[in-house]
Amino acid sequence: MRGWEKVGSSRSNLGRAGSTVTTNRITSTVRLGRVEPQAPGHRNIFCNDREANFLVRFKGNSISTTKYNVLTFLPKGLFEQFRRVANLYFLTISILSTTPISPVSPITNVVPLSLVLLVSLIKEAFEDWKRFQNDMAINNASIDVLQGQKWVEIPWKKLQVGDIVKVKQDGFFPADLLFLASTNADGVCYIETANLDGETNLKIRKALEKTWDYLTPDKASEFKGEIQCEQPNNSLYTFTGNLIIQKQTIPLTPNQVLLRNFVLSVMLEKRMPRALEYCNGEKGCSLRNTEYIVGAVIFTGHETKVMMNSMNVPSKRSTLERKLDKLILTLFGALFLMCLIGAIGSAIFINRKYFYLGLTADVEDQFNPNNRFMVFILTFLTLITLYSTIIPISLYVSIEMIKFIQSTQFINKDLHMYHAETNTPASARTSNLNEELGQVEYIFSDKTGTLTRNLMEFFKCSIGGEVYGTGLTEIERGAAQRSGGNVGKAQKSPGLIHEKGFNFDDARLMCGAWRNEPNPDTCKEFFRCLAICHTVLPEGEESPEKITYQAASPDEAALVTAAKIFGFFFYRRTPTMVHVRESHVEKMGKVEDMSYEILNVLEFNSTRKRQSVVCRYPNGRIVLYCKGADTVIYERLADVGNELKNITREHLEQFGSAGLRTLCLAYRDLSSSLYESWNEKFIQAKSSLRDREKKVDEVAELIEKELTLIGCTAIEDKLQEGVPSCIETLSRAGIKIWVLTGDKMETAINIAYACSLINNDMKQFIISSETNEIRDAEDRGDQVEVARIIKDSVKKDLKKYLEEAQHYLRTVSGPKLALIIDGKCLMYALDPSLRAMLLNLSLNCTSVVCCRVSPLQKAQVASLVKKGARKITLSIGDGANDVSMIQAAHVGVGISGLEGMQAVMASDFAIAQFRFLSDLLLVHGRWSYHRICKVITYFFYKNLTFTLTQFWFNFQTGFSGQRFYDDWFQSLYNVIFTALPVVILGLFDKDVSAKLSKMYPELYKEGIRNAFFKKRVVGIWAFFSFYQSLVFYYFVSTSSSTSQNSGKMFGLWDVSTMAFTCAVVTVNLRLLLMCNSITKWHYVSVGGSILAWFLFIFVYSGFLIPRDQNNEFFVIYVLMSTIYFYLTLLLVPIAALFGDFVFQGVQRWFFPYDYQIVQEIHRHEPEHSSRMELLEIGPPLTPDEARSYAIAQLPREKSRHTGFAFDSPGYESFFASQAGVYVPQKAWDVARRASMMRSRPKLPPKS
Amino acid sequence: MAGPSSAAAGSADRNSNRPKYSQFSQQELSACQPIVTPKLVITVFTVIGIIFIPLGIASLSASNDVVEISDRYETECIPAENRTTKDAKIQFIQNSQSDKTCTRSLTVPKHMKPPIYVYYQLDNYYQNHRRYVKSISDQQLRSPGSENDTSSCKPENEENGASIVPCGLIAWSLFNDTYSFTRNNNVSLTVNKTDISWKSDREHKFGKDVYPKNFQNGSLIGGATLKSSIPLSGQEDLMVWMRTAAMPTFRKLYGRIEVDLQANDVIEVSLNNTYNVYSFNGKKSIVLSTANWIGGKNDFLGVAYITVGAICFFLAACFTYIYLKKPSRLQDPSYLTWNTNPGPL
Repeated sequence: MRGWEKVGSSRSNLGRAGSTVTTNRITSTVRLGRVEPQAPGHRNIFCNDREANFLVRFKGNSISTTKYNVLTFLPKGLFEQFRRVANLYFLTISILSTTPISPVSPITNVVPLSLVLLVSLIKEAFEDWKRFQNDMAINNASIDVLQGQKWVEIPWKKLQVGDIVKVKQDGFFPADLLFLASTNADGVCYIETANLDGETNLKIRKALEKTWDYLTPDKASEFKGEIQCEQPNNSLYTFTGNLIIQKQTIPLTPNQVLLRNFVLSVMLEKRMPRALEYCNGEKGCSLRNTEYIVGAVIFTGHETKVMMNSMNVPSKRSTLERKLDKLILTLFGALFLMCLIGAIGSAIFINRKYFYLGLTADVEDQFNPNNRFMVFILTFLTLITLYSTIIPISLYVSIEMIKFIQSTQFINKDLHMYHAETNTPASARTSNLNEELGQVEYIFSDKTGTLTRNLMEFFKCSIGGEVYGTGLTEIERGAAQRSGGNVGKAQKSPGLIHEKGFNFDDARLMCGAWRNEPNPDTCKEFFRCLAICHTVLPEGEESPEKITYQAASPDEAALVTAAKIFGFFFYRRTPTMVHVRESHVEKMGKVEDMSYEILNVLEFNSTRKRQSVVCRYPNGRIVLYCKGADTVIYERLADVGNELKNITREHLEQFGSAGLRTLCLAYRDLSSSLYESWNEKFIQAKSSLRDREKKVDEVAELIEKELTLIGCTAIEDKLQEGVPSCIETLSRAGIKIWVLTGDKMETAINIAYACSLINNDMKQFIISSETNEIRDAEDRGDQVEVARIIKDSVKKDLKKYLEEAQHYLRTVSGPKLALIIDGKCLMYALDPSLRAMLLNLSLNCTSVVCCRVSPLQKAQVASLVKKGARKITLSIGDGANDVSMIQAAHVGVGISGLEGMQAVMASDFAIAQFRFLSDLLLVHGRWSYHRICKVITYFFYKNLTFTLTQFWFNFQTGFSGQRFYDDWFQSLYNVIFTALPVVILGLFDKDVSAKLSKMYPELYKEGIRNAFFKKRVVGIWAFFSFYQSLVFYYFVSTSSSTSQNSGKMFGLWDVSTMAFTCAVVTVNLRLLLMCNSITKWHYVSVGGSILAWFLFIFVYSGFLIPRDQNNEFFVIYVLMSTIYFYLTLLLVPIAALFGDFVFQGVQRWFFPYDYQIVQEIHRHEPEHSSRMELLEIGPPLTPDEARSYAIAQLPREKSRHTGFAFDSPGYESFFASQAGVYVPQKAWDVARRASMMRSRPKLPPKS
Repeated sequence: MAGPSSAAAGSADRNSNRPKYSQFSQQELSACQPIVTPKLVITVFTVIGIIFIPLGIASLSASNDVVEISDRYETECIPAENRTTKDAKIQFIQNSQSDKTCTRSLTVPKHMKPPIYVYYQLDNYYQNHRRYVKSISDQQLRSPGSENDTSSCKPENEENGASIVPCGLIAWSLFNDTYSFTRNNNVSLTVNKTDISWKSDREHKFGKDVYPKNFQNGSLIGGATLKSSIPLSGQEDLMVWMRTAAMPTFRKLYGRIEVDLQANDVIEVSLNNTYNVYSFNGKKSIVLSTANWIGGKNDFLGVAYITVGAICFFLAACFTYIYLKKPSRLQDPSYLTWNTNPGPL
């Protein structure tokens, strides 16, 4: 270390100088874990000089994510196990049972405890072994390292700080590297970080110019630089350091740093299996488009930035398990009570008069009648060990096993949750929360990527009062299906053009056929408007096939694409001109290049809700084309032709309620004099220094009037497959779905419509910050004032709406309620003073839409409901912005299969599609909940029953704490004789089939109500435990007080063996009685358990006589030779189960659960019908039939919602703005961007 | 080398992520659905009734066939002047000088076929007390080599420095009342005291070459003494006694009378009332009983069978009545909770 200190101190000032040069750019977009304060000092690395670095002893590059090694496994593993209260409790009991106060031999408690520990330790060892193998595979992956003058392949783990390495195309970075040289010109390389931040675009890293040359081995071997850099830390986006090369100090920036593969490391960190296979797929975070690069190793192994980012995701426990803790506590209470009763009894009982007990003067304390208090204390301890079976020791390990199998075998392998297109199966990333899935009441969903595909498609339009487009939206299809119709996939007409952004099918407009429509001129205007009025940039070759459109919003791109396909191909933009290749001319096939001079662009903003372009035709005609929200356009229409307006409005409503996003198109012919006079005002406004925006808007108003309506467009914000029907199913299941999105309000509302979250029957409460009052305040710019105004208005709104909501709730058939709130208002509504009101209001609403919310707010909303309402919540999302929400909710679900692993990494379950939620919740969740409830109650029952027989017995032994059963019986009861069937129950019990679970989503409500693990349910079980234990004890003890047929009498151990046999048989049969479905495994396990008991007792009482105890010797043989044995064995279990059976019969008959009714309804249906049937599609209707049918299903009443939504520039990257990189975009920036495009370096072709 | 840079094998098969179908993982194992329908309930109850009532009647009649004579004697066998107080009783029983013989006469109510089992019954005697139960050394009983293996026997483990065989409270408190019988004045009845213990006890638990030693030599005599010439495997009374009873009221086999006893025979029992149950208010009885296939007199099983069977019949009848009278809720979707009470949602 001395060497390091010396070097360190002499160079420290240089290092500091370097750090000031480097910009400390911290992006908050992706931050894993907390960023720790940087360690003082820095490290000096001598590149390509192992001896020099040797002094410093940097850590090696091998990583280890294992928890244990051979030596630490046992102590550490055991320590982990004993952190569980139940295990610790049994350890205490085991220790107690080695003392003389114990009525049982240590075996009784040690055996089950060791078995439980053994199972857990084997599991741990197995998992750790898998991690070890993963580590080994990674550590042994090979990398080219410069040794001497050539590249030598060495395993990753041998890599050392300062080494020069070569990373080839698609290779992974073995450590954090300083980027020196690349085969690309300009010393750049491209890396893919999709897994880190979900961004699909390649990132560019640029090497320092000084080092570009060190590419070939002989050149690189000359490289003798020295790197001074920060100590290893976990901040992914910062890097501070200097490169000292040829006595020059050059500052280094994050731009020259290549981070060790992210996914691999994080997956390992999160102890995910199959990390390697995953990375070998196409999702790596690796070098792209570059033949190879050369880099110097700066941080290795565990010191790499990603490895230092250990994501300590707090492990979640299910609500049921927390309730289970309460039950266990209650059991402890019962245990205490039983011991107390016994101990008091014992202290009273003990007396010298029982001379046969030999209570002489020097008797030990426990039986000393002279010191009854001591008797009390010691008997209390005795009884604790005796009754310890009341705490089900194997419960936790059984549940763990069941859940593990449930998640790995059932959820992960469910074919119904396998998404073929992305080749992604569902994945349960934790097995803790299976049953939580069965109780979810609130779902918080992200919009983009989760509900929608973020794909805008031109879907329908209305031109001059005529609707074009035959497609059916998901919502129409869903509505049709719900009302019983069978709408297959609409058949597409032949020759249908389908490309990105265009999903339109109507032969009347395609291939120039619009010329034969009633009003071809309107069509022409419509298409021109689409082709001219926009801010899109064309990119690439100027042919219809090759061109790509760069648009600020996908809506715009979709509209321009539509124009292209209709024959108005926009192919070039210059700062003043828009070039359109039109094929409209009378002769077929003739194409004409038209160029329109763009005179003005009147930009889109959320106030104007419209966008206009003034253009001059080559023939001098000046036209203003305008597109925008129907409300603003209609206000500005010329006062003629009401009929068209009304028809178009009807169409708008129709589109809107079908979930489509609409825009109205209009134009106005301008005379040149009118235009000139207006333009002067416009230029003046634009060049004004104060309130420019406002003035521009005002001037725009002057010309945007007396418009002529052309028609409207309907764009489908393409939903993920099956979203509306899934949402409909989920809401029938009593689950409330909240959409939390960064989008603006119109879009969010529109999607809510499209997903059938909101419909026209609902009363909508809108809390928006887009009111005039607030806007005025914002214009004034006083932030304190703005905050006050918003807060007041939010408060006012909340109060008003809450009153209204309560009013509606009181009425019998009031409308359903929906709350729509935007991020700014939410910020104030989440204020502690208003939070309660917000919660109250939102819980009364069927749907809640929060728009323009930040990731933090998403998490706040989730925890508001989670903590405030104590409801079980689920968050689903796909992006890095959903991570906080996913972690805040009880259950986090990530959408996998797409790019971006952030959400998945933070999630508890990963599914490929939103619609799989219905399978995940209604099928797996519901079943898991049912099963775990049954497992817990059964464990409770069987242990209580067993322990209570001991308790009753103690009343007749002078409260001495004498054990009723043999030690081995007691120790094996839990782990052998009754262990397996309950696991089978937990795995296979199925109340209704998966198909019915989805057919009757309402069944899920039983889980939300927690119908199967309530105090009442547990109370009933306790009652029957009580009853059964009394039956076991009194029936057996009373009936055995007589002689057998040979005149001999039964002793204690004969009676207890009889009672134990009855108990084992009964408890196992009771399990069968509670099963909803009985497979062969049930028979095998139940039969096997009973058989195991008999085998055990035959062997135990026949041959194996433990040294100390031969109480049981030959007992079973004598017992079984008497008729008494068989009479009792028939009588006792039936008498014991009699009560349960009557209860079940009566309960089912008179107070049935819903699932029982459903069982009855579908009783005679074959069980084997697979869920596949649901997916079957009947004979499809023709498109026309389908459309007319679907339209017939739409609500008749006039809709207020017309579906306007348009993602204008500036909102598009709302999330980016949250990260602080918001740059307001102006429509006229388009031209500037166009010119920038040209100068940007072209990506090198893929090799 | 399966490193991340060699991206060959893993991604070769693009369909590898599709889970394989199996009935197990798709949770489509064939299963039967046991639905507790009214019909099933009625059927099950009827069947149980049909099986249980005959069984109950058979057991009960078998139990009734058993002739049992029981006579409680612990008070009567104490001279009247000593009966007044508990202390007087104890004094009497502990006085080795007092004459403890006593005669009881029993009348045979019905013909009793041999073997007629003679039992003694103790009440309020906690043979199942923990201190008592564990005060035994199985090793010592089994093998002579473990003679000193008496740690579990405290306080009756050793006397005068030598181990007691058999040690422990159970052996120490061995019952020592003796009975002899004469029928109809002076026809003596022999009591066969062999084969009253469990065969397994005789052959395995109690050693053939383990002889009583130092037994009942202490200042306090708990009960019977043992002939030190007979090995433990021959001490059948001891074996019977040491098979500790489950309940505080218990009977133990004393012997067998192997002649017929006619109705109205008068049996004279001359007994030696030496066992102290007075200090803890215990009771002592002598019981003569025959046994048949079901064993001794035991009404409980029969009554329990008949009761359960009868309740089953009764419930079956009730359910049938309700089933016919009241339409079943089952199978009717309108009873589903969400159809009956539409919530606010």
